[in-house]
Amino acid sequence: MVDRGAGALLDRASRRLSTPIAVADGSSLQILQENARFFQLFPTAGGAEESIFDRVPGLNRDRVRQALEKGRQYLQEIELKSGARTLTFNVRISSDTEGEPSIAVVECEDVSKRKEAEYMLDSYSKLAEKNARELQREKERVEKLLLNIMPRAVYEELKDYGTTTPQKFEDVSVLMLDFVGFTDMAVSQDPGALVSELNDIFSAFDRIVELFDCERIKTIGDSYVCVSGMPNPNPDHAAALARVALRMRRYLERRNESHPTNWRFRIGLASGPLIGSMVGIQKYVYDIFGPAANLAARMEEHCEPMTITVSAGINAAIHSRFQTTSLGIATVKGFGEMELFRLDFESPR
Amino acid sequence: MASIFERYGGFASIRRIVSDFYDRVLDDAGLSSYFHGVNLPELIEHQTKFIMMVTGGPANVPNEQLRRAHSRLSITSSDFERIVELLTQTLEDHNLQPEDVAGVISAVKDREAFIVTRTG
Repeated sequence: MVDRGAGALLDRASRRLSTPIAVADGSSLQILQENARFFQLFPTAGGAEESIFDRVPGLNRDRVRQALEKGRQYLQEIELKSGARTLTFNVRISSDTEGEPSIAVVECEDVSKRKEAEYMLDSYSKLAEKNARELQREKERVEKLLLNIMPRAVYEELKDYGTTTPQKFEDVSVLMLDFVGFTDMAVSQDPGALVSELNDIFSAFDRIVELFDCERIKTIGDSYVCVSGMPNPNPDHAAALARVALRMRRYLERRNESHPTNWRFRIGLASGPLIGSMVGIQKYVYDIFGPAANLAARMEEHCEPMTITVSAGINAAIHSRFQTTSLGIATVKGFGEMELFRLDFESPR
Repeated sequence: MASIFERYGGFASIRRIVSDFYDRVLDDAGLSSYFHGVNLPELIEHQTKFIMMVTGGPANVPNEQLRRAHSRLSITSSDFERIVELLTQTLEDHNLQPEDVAGVISAVKDREAFIVTRTG
């Protein structure tokens, strides 16, 4: 006759279960029964009346007892060597105190594959994060390079839309500077040293320009071009650029006093409408076009060495705050007759 | 052309190959002795990176690192051949095209000098 008594089939089934299971005495925690898989993984040392602590390595005795006394189940992850593999089990111990005798049930869930996947994921995410950091650094490097050749607003546009549109600015100021007799200087001296000095000077100019929220557009040989009022609007663009010009003058005057090379500059300032645009596709530069740029170039041509010449428009915008001197009426190529001014200094408040 | 890593679905697919390959190697009677006492997270990290590298994924295991990781194991060339065989089977079972399997295997064999340290 087939024994269909309570638990008899379950008892048989548990023997074939791939999950290790054992039943222990509720108070002594001595193992009373176990299935084949439990026996295989946690072999007996041969002693009589072995407790679960003798069989399952690494269990925390105190914690197990504390949890069971409070009627809670106990969970712990243990590692077990099996051949070349390290298996990881989630051990769950729970007690049943309602029947007699009270029992503790030990189940061990094999989570080795899950663990392995976690380690793999850890390894991959570390790699991905490292690559992301490198990419970010590279991006910042590229951004820094591009910001050297174009204003930030234009760079943002290029980045977001892949292209830029020429922008018209109604009222901005342009400063142009060059050095008198640079070509002769370059020939007569050590060109390498001269260019290195020029690099020093332009770097100082860049800092001055930045200090007054203006924008360096470009340098061509020995000439330096910067603007105020674009691409970010500035209602007081003429005064900002006048301050830049005065700082440049002071920087060069001081530098000439302490260096053997005498850098004789001319600075022209003018204001008016202007177009700013990227030019070129592969080798692009940001450049400016329009009346303000042309007039600034003319002002520079009319300039005496070591002075700053400004257009009537600039003078009108700043003369209440800056000391200027009229240079009289001159014929300016492309613009006709107009009064020119020399910028002397900023009036003390 | 996109790398094998990208064409077969990136890490989501490659991780299955790594996992399967790992099982086959550890279940191989001749090879399992190399893995006794090996730190599991380190082993998996190494295998993940290695498989990612030879499939053209975003990982790089420098040759010097390969040499250091294997030097104390004194791996024989016949065991290396066995590993290559297991990897070939794994890749084939994960439906890689024959030319892609050949590509991965040749990337592995290129590094044989840094892994094998014993004749036999």
